[in-house]
Amino acid sequence: MTTYVESTVRFPYKRSLGPVIGQFMTGLTEARLLGIRADDRVIVPPVEWDPETGEQLAHEFVEVGPAGTVRSWCWVEKPTTQHPLDRPFAFALIELDGASTGFLHAVDAGRREAMTTGMRVVPRWRTERRGHITDVEAFVPGDQPLPVERAEPAGEPVTMMTYDAEVHYLTPVTENETRVGQAAAEGRFLGLRCPRCARLYVGGKNDCPICAVALTPQDEVDLPQRGTITNYVIITPVQYPGQTETEPFARVHVLLDGVDVVLMFQPVVDLANDDVRPGVRVSAVWTPPDGTGRRALAGWRPTGEPDVDDPALVNRIH
Amino acid sequence: MAATEPVAIIGWSVSPMERRTDKTEAQLLLDVITDATAHAGISRADVDFTCAGSCDYVAGQAFSFVQNINAIGAWPPKRDSHVEMDGAWALYEAWVRLQLGDLDVALATGSGRSSTADPATIYPMEMDPYYLAPLGADAVSMAALQARVLLDAGLVTERQMATIAARTRRDAVANPHAQVSGEFDVDALLAGEYVRDPLRRHDLPPITDGACAVVLARGEKARELTDRPVWITGFAHVAEAHQPGVRDLRVSTSAARAAKAAGVAEGGPIDVAELQSAFTHEEPVLTAALGLGPEVAINPSGGPLAANPIMATGLVRIAEAARQIRDAGKRRALAHATSGPCLQQNLVCVLEEGR
Ligand SMILES: [Zn+2]
Repeated sequence: MTTYVESTVRFPYKRSLGPVIGQFMTGLTEARLLGIRADDRVIVPPVEWDPETGEQLAHEFVEVGPAGTVRSWCWVEKPTTQHPLDRPFAFALIELDGASTGFLHAVDAGRREAMTTGMRVVPRWRTERRGHITDVEAFVPGDQPLPVERAEPAGEPVTMMTYDAEVHYLTPVTENETRVGQAAAEGRFLGLRCPRCARLYVGGKNDCPICAVALTPQDEVDLPQRGTITNYVIITPVQYPGQTETEPFARVHVLLDGVDVVLMFQPVVDLANDDVRPGVRVSAVWTPPDGTGRRALAGWRPTGEPDVDDPALVNRIH
Repeated sequence: MAATEPVAIIGWSVSPMERRTDKTEAQLLLDVITDATAHAGISRADVDFTCAGSCDYVAGQAFSFVQNINAIGAWPPKRDSHVEMDGAWALYEAWVRLQLGDLDVALATGSGRSSTADPATIYPMEMDPYYLAPLGADAVSMAALQARVLLDAGLVTERQMATIAARTRRDAVANPHAQVSGEFDVDALLAGEYVRDPLRRHDLPPITDGACAVVLARGEKARELTDRPVWITGFAHVAEAHQPGVRDLRVSTSAARAAKAAGVAEGGPIDVAELQSAFTHEEPVLTAALGLGPEVAINPSGGPLAANPIMATGLVRIAEAARQIRDAGKRRALAHATSGPCLQQNLVCVLEEGR
């Protein structure tokens, strides 16, 4: 039976803005909305190339707004975590005064009945502005600009922006994967032998990639606990989000005896980084049972047997 | 662009369409590739080139398409490609690849588990990263903004939109793959709450897990493999500006250009069209842009309003259009796929019967 695993993936991007978007974002820090001239039109927010012709636009910026007219809108009754407001609001295409195009942003109108096409709106600026599209917290109904705090000229131009989205995933864990996990909790490796080509796989594969046939519990085989390091990498950790290692550490590929594919990126036990090399004979080390009796693979420890002397071993990366 | 070498669809498979499948994307693909190659009367070994359409953000995994290759049977090594697009664009690439003349058989796939995450949090990540993504600009909001423009312009009414929903759901009754089908009263639909004013639940597609595979063969090889090839006689795709605010949302300029480039108006009438109109109001925009009159049957499968497997919905349109020729006796069919906010990019594929 398939089960599901929940995970949250963060996407913390840092982006360079270039001369046109950077100018717009710098304007936002000054509580100003800028467009770019394209022949007789003013495009807001500014783009680097003419959307009609694809020609690069001269960097002729025009201040627009702050008031504008709603040209289209929709009502978001239940905002997502990525939306700019956490209460019901409207997304709108707003034609800012002096602009020729619709600017997508939120309108904080309170209730759906307050929204009409053609209504006038003005921006509500954040006090702390960093050069980000959400420096405008939202537009609000009205024709008169709201008072702005700290609308002084920017010190340094804005050249970078961050975007940090989060997505919650619910991923299926197949029966084969679940059973391999259960075996591991008992300190066992479960393999799957392809009924067609007889290749022996590790890691709860769902199908034989060579034959493109499904593998089922009927194809299960208990695997040995010993194998050989075929390849390795010493990783010097960079402190990106989620990295918990702080010192250089090894990850190795292990080819279990009699198996056709390697276990990839395995940790090692009692093996110094300088001593990691292809050919080292290793055996599995399991953690003691936890409160629920479950074990986990701690890593691979040298057995003390002589190295396997096979120069081709290093090619075993799958 | 006119095909320099005739290429035909010789087999296809559409997976069951479900709100949440317990299969992985690779498992969905394993099944449809097995079925599509069987439908074409070939084995995986006969396929010279594969191209897949899928999306890492949907899968929640970098390079997720590498795992999907397990479904292809890529040994000995196969020529393979991938597009981070709907499978309809994968089929376009496969069609272009066959034009080179050195390969005979290609396979295109599209696959997606929409249920893996909330599509409303996935979609913004694929938008303009400076102006749109940080606002969480999701597909339903984008579509609703275009619907409002059409309603305000008097080009469509809410009743017309509900009528389209009722028709596609009725047509979908005969489609074993449909997720949403049945008899619905238009007045009852109109009495429903707005989900994203001006869109109601029936204006939106369902959230669907599914996959599709289509087999192509070139010229003589197609004739050798089947008595009933479905020939691709026109194929083009055109994109316009990404920012919806710079476009005239009352029309689809890129769909009209793609139709012209694919020769839709030449070579006789179109009998049936399968359109990737995932929102009800998109259908009148597309039929106008593609030059399809009231005599053309639109989405007899139920279309994306009946089942919307993200990254495969467009390819399913091509498979369903081919089915109309192969199994429903139609002579000339149009399949359409779209990508991007408010119908930003449009693909048109013309299919015809013949030896
Ligand atoms: Zn096999």
